[in-house]
Amino acid sequence: MGKLYKFLKYFFITFWAVFVVAPFLWALTTSFKDFNSVNGGATYIPWVDFEPKLEGWRVLIKSPANGGVDIIEPYFNSLFVTCTASLISIVLGTLSAYALSRFTFKAGFVKNNDITFFFISQRIMPPIVLSIPFFLFLGAINLLDSLIGLIVVYIVLLMPIAVWIMVDFFNKVPREIDETALIDGCNPYQAFFKVVLPNSIPGLIVAGMFCIIFGWIDFFFAFILTFTEVQLLPVKIVALNSSITPWWSLSASALVSVAPLIIVAFIVERYLSKGNLSGAIK
Amino acid sequence: MSKIDLNNISHTYNPKDTEPTYALNPFSMTWENGKRYAILGPSGCGKTTMLNIVSGLVRPSAGSILFDDKDVTDLKTEDRNIAQVFQFPVIYNTMTVFENLAFPLLCRDFEKEKINERVNSVAETLNLQSFLKSPARKLTADQKQLISLGRGLVREDVAAVLMDEPLTVIDPDLKFRLRRKLKEINEEFKTTLVYVTHDQNEAMTFADNIIVMSDGEVVQAGTPKELFERPNTTFVGYFIGSPAMNLFETEASSNDCVKINGTLIKTNTNLSKLKNKKIKFGIRSEFINLAVDQKDNLLSVEVDKVEDLGNYKLLTAKMGELTIKSKINRETVVPSSNVKLHIPADKCCVYENEILI
Repeated sequence: MGKLYKFLKYFFITFWAVFVVAPFLWALTTSFKDFNSVNGGATYIPWVDFEPKLEGWRVLIKSPANGGVDIIEPYFNSLFVTCTASLISIVLGTLSAYALSRFTFKAGFVKNNDITFFFISQRIMPPIVLSIPFFLFLGAINLLDSLIGLIVVYIVLLMPIAVWIMVDFFNKVPREIDETALIDGCNPYQAFFKVVLPNSIPGLIVAGMFCIIFGWIDFFFAFILTFTEVQLLPVKIVALNSSITPWWSLSASALVSVAPLIIVAFIVERYLSKGNLSGAIK
Repeated sequence: MSKIDLNNISHTYNPKDTEPTYALNPFSMTWENGKRYAILGPSGCGKTTMLNIVSGLVRPSAGSILFDDKDVTDLKTEDRNIAQVFQFPVIYNTMTVFENLAFPLLCRDFEKEKINERVNSVAETLNLQSFLKSPARKLTADQKQLISLGRGLVREDVAAVLMDEPLTVIDPDLKFRLRRKLKEINEEFKTTLVYVTHDQNEAMTFADNIIVMSDGEVVQAGTPKELFERPNTTFVGYFIGSPAMNLFETEASSNDCVKINGTLIKTNTNLSKLKNKKIKFGIRSEFINLAVDQKDNLLSVEVDKVEDLGNYKLLTAKMGELTIKSKINRETVVPSSNVKLHIPADKCCVYENEILI
C-alpha cells in the first residue's frame, strides 16, 4: 500500500513537472534554431538534431536599422510601468484597505463592504468595457501613447487587487494589536507604521506579487493605449509575428519576458519556505 | 498611579437610535490608588466596555472620567498613560521579547539605561529573562500572555493596569502563581490593578474590591465579604458563591418574620414598611446548619441527598416544593430522613423587587 502510494505520488509529480517544464524546454531549444531546423520537420536535441545558432537571441538586441527588433527599450518600459504602478497601487491600496478594515464609513446606504466591493468590481468588468473610456480619458489629458498614461491606467487595474488582498489580511490582524499599540503610547499613525505594517509583510508580498504579475502580463491596454512613441514588451513580442514567423526570436523573447516572473516566484518561494509568511499572526 | 473617578458614565453603541440600548447604564465609581479591583459578571454584561472607556479606546456616551481629579474624558488613549492587557495574547510578532517589553517605554522616549533597567526587572518578575533575545512569535501562548502582562507592568507610573480576563489562555497551575505574582506586584509597587473576569473564585481571591455587573448595570461594589454576606440583589446572591444563595419567594408575615413553607423565620430586617407583600428570602448555604440545641428559627426538612465534596458536605433537602442547600462540616453525621436546620437571623437577607431591604 505504502509503496504503491509512493509510486503514484512520484509518478504524478514527475508527470506534472514534465507538463510544466516541457513548453519552456521547447521554447529554449527553439530559440537556438534557425529557419531550416524549424521548418524541416521536428528537431529536438541540439548538436544532434540541429546545429544551435545564436541568431534568435542576437536579433533581440540589434536595432531595427541593422535588421534587429530591439526589445531592450520595450523591456525597460514594461519594467518601469509595472514596478511604478505596482508600487503606487500597493501604497494606496494598503492605506485604503487599512481604513476600510478599521474605521466605519457611511454615506447613505454605502458602507465599508460596498466600498470594498466597488474596488473589486473594477476587475469584474471585462476589460474591453473600460477600453473606450480609458482611451477618451487619456486622450483628453494628452497622455495617450505615454508611459505616465499607462501607469495611471495600470494603477486603476492593480489597486483593486491590492485593496482586496489587504482588506482581507487586515481583517485577520486582531484589532487588539492596534489598540495595544495605542495603549503603549503610539499615535494612530505610529500604530499603523510601527506595529500593524511590519505584521502585514506577508500580505504585502502576496499583494505585490499579484500586482507585478497582472501588470507585467497585460497586453490589452498596452496595445490599445500606445502606438508609436511607447511600446511595452507584450505588444512588441506580438508584433514580432510577421508573414514568416520568426519562431527562434519569438521563443527567445518569450523566455526573457517570463524571466522576471520566475525570479519573483523564486524569491517569494524562498521567503515562504523560511516560514516567514506562515504563522505571522497567532 | 492615580485615583480614577468615573462620574455618571454610560455608553451606547447606537446613539442615533430613538431608543438606544445601553451597553453600560449610568454609574459612578471611584477606584482608589494602589488597590486591586475585580469586575465580575457574565459574558456581555459590559465589563469590557467599562475597561475600554477607562483606557480611552471607547468614548463614553455620557459622563466624565477623572484621573487624579484631572478630566481625561476626551484625552486620547496614547496620552492617558494606562496599561491594558487583553484576553488573548497580543504581541508584536516582528520584534524580540525585549523589544516587545521595551515598546511602551520607547514610545514615550525613555532613556536607554532606564529602558534596560525596567525591562530586565519586569522580565525577572515574570521569568522571561532567558527569552529576552528570542523573537516573540516563537514563544508559547502562555509566554506570549506574559509578554502582554509585562508590557502592562513595564511603566512604573501608569495610572492603572487594566486586565481583561488575562489568564484565560494560561494553564491552571501557572494561573494560580501569576495571580499571586500580580498581588505581590500590587503590594510592592502600589499599582492599581483592575481585573475583569467571569470567574468568581478568581475575583474573590484576587481583589480587595469586587464590582459585580449584570446587563450593563453595576449591581454591587464591595469587598468579597460584603458581596458574600449581604448581596445587594438576588442576582449577586445567585451569581456569587457556590452553590448559589438559597432564595425563596415568600411573604412577610410580621414586622421581622417571613413564612417559609408554613414555618415562621425571624430575620433582622425591618419588614414593616414593605409596600409589596411579595418578597424573596435569601440565605447562604454556608450559614445553614443542622440544629443542635437551638430553639428558634428552625426549618423541618426532608433530606434529599448528601454529597461529599472533599472539604465539606453539601446537603440538599426538600420542604414541600422548595429545595434548600446547606454546606455542612464533613465530620457531621446527617440522618437519612427528617432533620431540623437552623437559620441564623443575622444572616438572612430579604429582597423586595429583587433588591435587598
